[in-house]
Amino acid sequence: MSYFTDADARKIISATYEKAQASTAVAARLYAPGELSLLPPGAVALALGVNHPVRHAALLRGERVLDIGCGAGIDTLLAARAVGSHGRVVGLDMTPAMLDRARGHIAEAGADNIELREGLMEALPFPDGSFDVVVSNGVLSLSTRKSRALAEMLRVLRPGGRVALGDLVLTDTLPEALVKDPTALAV
Amino acid sequence: MLRKKLFNVGFQAVATVDRRPFGFADLARYPLFPPEFLDFVRRVLPSERDQEIVHTVVVTGRRPL
Repeated sequence: MSYFTDADARKIISATYEKAQASTAVAARLYAPGELSLLPPGAVALALGVNHPVRHAALLRGERVLDIGCGAGIDTLLAARAVGSHGRVVGLDMTPAMLDRARGHIAEAGADNIELREGLMEALPFPDGSFDVVVSNGVLSLSTRKSRALAEMLRVLRPGGRVALGDLVLTDTLPEALVKDPTALAV
Repeated sequence: MLRKKLFNVGFQAVATVDRRPFGFADLARYPLFPPEFLDFVRRVLPSERDQEIVHTVVVTGRRPL
């Protein structure tokens, strides 16, 4: 159960991510140096995922990819490199400030096969079957309606399409004091 | 649980392809949380289970044909 409404949770999470400071500590833990060297430093310094789903997505040249919760764009940019100029990647995020950051990093990288959209993972603004692959990194755990978000991922994939989700999972219940803390919503 | 959620909404070939502990040192890397929150987490989570309670995973699946 959640102690927060959907709207309150979104506000808290957006406010937390808007205030994110630049740090390469997360990127250095998750990505290979050879990957990071190809990306704008700003995208590397705002990597806030929890794993590397793009590495496991087996992306092919020409594929259409949706990156849910793209943040400042690190996974979006890596996916765009993998699918090449004939492929297309859409980065979706609910926080306009993060999309602004991603827009700058994409321009800096000169990637012309990326589109950014504002929206919610529980109500994806795309027709059925729009994508070959959905990736997401540390985002599903932020939703108070995870099954709804997963059903939306399934809907926007073409038949046979793939999903690769990086996320945090619990092996035990957390102390109630932590679950009730608003800051913990953004973990 | 995440794999089960994917399966329940209709994904097939659901698999965990990466799984690693995500402990306090990992959380502290994120430039999202104030020091008082990190102190709070350290107080309420048992340190001897730091590498057990939270894991980072990549789960994959496929929409049926």
